[in-house]
Amino acid sequence: MSNEQYDVIVIGGGHAGTEAALAAARMGVSTLLLTQNVETLGQMSCNPAIGGIGKGHLVKEIDAMGGLMAHAADLAGIHFRILNSRKGPAVRATRAQADRQLYKRAVRAAIENQPNLRVFQQAADDLIVEQGQVVGVVTQMGLAFRARAVVLTVGTFLGGRIHIGLNNYQGGRAGDPPSNALAARLRELALKVDRLKTGTPPRIDKRSVDFSRMQEQPGDEPVPVFSFMGDAAEHPPQTLCHITRTNERTHDHIRAGMDRSPMYTGVIEGVGPRYCPSIEDKIVRFADKDSHQIFVEPEGLDSNELYPNGISTSLPYDVQVNVVRSIEGFENAHITRPGYAIEYDFFDPRDLKPSLESQHLPGLFFAGQINGTTGYEEAAAQGMLAGINAARRAGDQESWSPGRELAYLGVLVDDLRTQGTNEPYRMFTSRAEHRLLLREDNADLRLTPIARELGLIDDLRWARFERKREAIEREKQRLSDHWLRPGDLSEARQTQLFGGPLIREQRLAELLRRPEVDYASLTGLPGCGPGVEDAQVAQQVEIDAKYAGYIDRQRDEIDRHRRQQEASIPDDFDYATVRGLSTEVREKLQRTRPATVGQASRVPGVTPAAVSLLLVHLKRQGAGAGSLRHQA
Amino acid sequence: MNDADTIAAVATPPGRGGVGIVRISGPKAVEAARRIVGVVPPARTAIYRRFHDRAGHEIDDGIALYFPSPNSFTGEDVLELQGHGGPVVLDMLMAALGEIGIRPARPGEFSERAFLNDKLDLAQAEAVADLIDSASEAAARAALNSLHGEFSHRVTAMVDALIELRMYVEAAIDFPEEEVDFLADSGIATRLHDIEQKLQQTLASARQGTLLRDGMNLVIAGRPNAGKSSLLNALAGTDAAIVTDVPGTTRDVLRERIEIDGLPIHVIDTAGIRDSDDVVEQEGIRRTWREVERADRLLLVMDAREPMHVEDQQLLARIPPRLPVTLLHNKIDLLERDIPDDVDAERAELWISARTGARLDRLREHLKNAVGYQPTGQGTFSARRRHLDALFRAERHLLDARERLEKSRAGELVAEELRLAQNALAEITGAFSSDDLLGRIFSSFCIGK
Repeated sequence: MSNEQYDVIVIGGGHAGTEAALAAARMGVSTLLLTQNVETLGQMSCNPAIGGIGKGHLVKEIDAMGGLMAHAADLAGIHFRILNSRKGPAVRATRAQADRQLYKRAVRAAIENQPNLRVFQQAADDLIVEQGQVVGVVTQMGLAFRARAVVLTVGTFLGGRIHIGLNNYQGGRAGDPPSNALAARLRELALKVDRLKTGTPPRIDKRSVDFSRMQEQPGDEPVPVFSFMGDAAEHPPQTLCHITRTNERTHDHIRAGMDRSPMYTGVIEGVGPRYCPSIEDKIVRFADKDSHQIFVEPEGLDSNELYPNGISTSLPYDVQVNVVRSIEGFENAHITRPGYAIEYDFFDPRDLKPSLESQHLPGLFFAGQINGTTGYEEAAAQGMLAGINAARRAGDQESWSPGRELAYLGVLVDDLRTQGTNEPYRMFTSRAEHRLLLREDNADLRLTPIARELGLIDDLRWARFERKREAIEREKQRLSDHWLRPGDLSEARQTQLFGGPLIREQRLAELLRRPEVDYASLTGLPGCGPGVEDAQVAQQVEIDAKYAGYIDRQRDEIDRHRRQQEASIPDDFDYATVRGLSTEVREKLQRTRPATVGQASRVPGVTPAAVSLLLVHLKRQGAGAGSLRHQA
Repeated sequence: MNDADTIAAVATPPGRGGVGIVRISGPKAVEAARRIVGVVPPARTAIYRRFHDRAGHEIDDGIALYFPSPNSFTGEDVLELQGHGGPVVLDMLMAALGEIGIRPARPGEFSERAFLNDKLDLAQAEAVADLIDSASEAAARAALNSLHGEFSHRVTAMVDALIELRMYVEAAIDFPEEEVDFLADSGIATRLHDIEQKLQQTLASARQGTLLRDGMNLVIAGRPNAGKSSLLNALAGTDAAIVTDVPGTTRDVLRERIEIDGLPIHVIDTAGIRDSDDVVEQEGIRRTWREVERADRLLLVMDAREPMHVEDQQLLARIPPRLPVTLLHNKIDLLERDIPDDVDAERAELWISARTGARLDRLREHLKNAVGYQPTGQGTFSARRRHLDALFRAERHLLDARERLEKSRAGELVAEELRLAQNALAEITGAFSSDDLLGRIFSSFCIGK
């Protein structure tokens, strides 16, 4: 029996596990990454894409804190787009199709070259628990590794059961074994476990597809870049995606196979995501729609597999063949892997602290799909946070967690902790009440300084960041110091630029606030330039001006709510002492143990009146306002 | 600690009517029933008994009702004693309750407890407070409407409609690859329009409610011989004595209150509005001007036989531009020519005689119309200024949302305005309530430290 000692052990080498291990190691603590299979580090087990609405925001935040995902996407992205580019900057999001192999290679290279980080291939079967604290891991072959903190990121492997038609078998991601020993052990530890469901579509051999019958979907030009440190020159060659559609014949085949659907015959109990329904779900729930879009995404430059995004299914294989071949362009398609649904365990995230440490098992952190989320980006973001806090625990430092007003990561963790979830949780921008502040473009301005303090940012990135930040400040100052006088321009030019003559002299900063004025044309005016060269700097200056009124208002709102939000509730607070709380609300709060009144107010079933009671009670106790919890 | 507290209060207005009700709430309600009634009445059943004090002397006889927790108005054990009223008897009952450690309630404390025990939402709790101090019958009716949650229902319905609208807008943002762009859809504009209309209707009703509760602030000005006091007396009617809210010292603003068809009117006398060298009077002048700033209308009383005096002209030049003015030509009974027509314009002119009462009805109608008052009491809510403020803010955000939708097509800003509109509405029913808001509410319910 080995007795190797680490500061942090991360179990699982998916997107959560790799970011957790990298973050901890970057902070200088000795870290061990335990994975079932080194070959699958950074594996994209579902669709080969990174980013999208809300998700792209998370990727930029991970990047702003020194994480890997954006950089790996830049190295592996073969088709980039900015979604919502015709809407405002707050809801614009980057999305990349990734070459699976290139992505895995980028992740593995980062892991293998990270100082303080070791990798060991071996399934974890058990946790070492001493005096109620998790202090290590026992592997399949009985090796024991001890650590100050353990991060659990075992995703779809946990108690997984795969369904294709009415057949089902135990399994993790298709082809890999599930982590059942660990699942059984965790159930013994009295952690609350529930079940969710997700699925994937059948994969198709590119060589059997007629692309001439599909609509082409090119990437954006110029090609977007994910990382703040990135460059389009890092991208591999770019490729095309395609769009095709289902039709009435497709739907007939699906309806005909419904009696052998595990979802519609009650074999699957887990709840699937509403926003990512299987094709059979779409046909049933939107019966009046005679066609659905399918995005045909390449799996990689060297791969002949295609991922038909939009026809996730768990219908029997023979039905899948008929469904696929009824679709335009897929008439002769060969399925390389059948689609399937997978049911898996997740741990109720309401049992977590904001640091992602278990409330019941100190020393054990949870990140990724086991917390009920879906998506690589959600997993990676949690992994990074869990890695940071595991490292801080190892160093006897206080935990850190961003608030809802600081990051999508804060929204994610707060939602999970206070609301739990009954479907795989996915990020959307509408979950963020401070959406106008939480943009992709300012993720670095929001988070890099904090990450630097946490020890995650190297000198190179920091120097680049500081240059950018200073350039933004300088340019803002310049625009508010310089005035444009009505006499500076001909009246015709004024009308052309501003929709009418200027009535009085105005600061350039004020003029930039007008919807019709853009930065480039403003700084191109005589006496108003030159503007800054750096596009990122120009963009920040312009967005700040355009959103100014809204941003001020959101900041006011944040300040107004802050006192209530941050009024802290002591860890040992006894809800039974609050007069008038209903039994139901009391039990919910006892269970969730919100750290602040703000969190308490977001626990489902907690009424505004209950929040008032809590506030009044805390006020009477003299707690709350006096002991503000510092949330970033 | 408040948990053990039991409170009692006389629930009927002082000195009036044949019935006097004392209400007791808290854990000692049962003990009070045993001591005073001699028995704990069955839950929610009226029993007739004699009421005794501690020494066993009979105080009164009447109905006793018991509502055990949590099925009572406050959520606590509640005992209600309905006796014969009269200040002396009620005092004796309260004294008897005091002997067993039941203390008199602070104003609004019953509502406070009801609110804290989840029995009322904020709008309802405030409606109770309105009911308690409602000055007129119409206001009481409006307060009752709000208590029944009609106002809350309407606001809740609007919030629901807004949530539905937001659903579409948010979907357009979060699912740009879906095939329907909801923002381009005219359905969004139609829905937005529907909510705006609902909001405006509610606003109209709520404004009525505010008028009923808070009344209209009316400044009466005019030279000493113009007939201001006879006008006041005439307006107030002979029965209802003029109530002087604040007993006047020279330094205080003189305020009097009259009522026209249920509309409370606070009359601000401007005796001290003209310039003076006296220090004390100067302070009075300053305060008067502050009142003028807040007024809903200025009534300038003049002698119908004379042209406008220079002093009146100076006054009109000094008042805030937003303050509507009615020129009131008094003493038409002494006029030796035809009475000119009334002018119903921005600056209204009316011709009356306070002494004979001629054409006073026109003045009353004019004042009611000027603030949009319709004395029906039906469908009006007892809205506090806070409610009105929230409704106005919601309206402004909806208008901004429309502008963003039509002009700049900026989806995320439409979404932001709608979110803010919803937050504003939610302030009324208590959802999304901020600490600030609670602070204001609880300050009017006297919550202890």
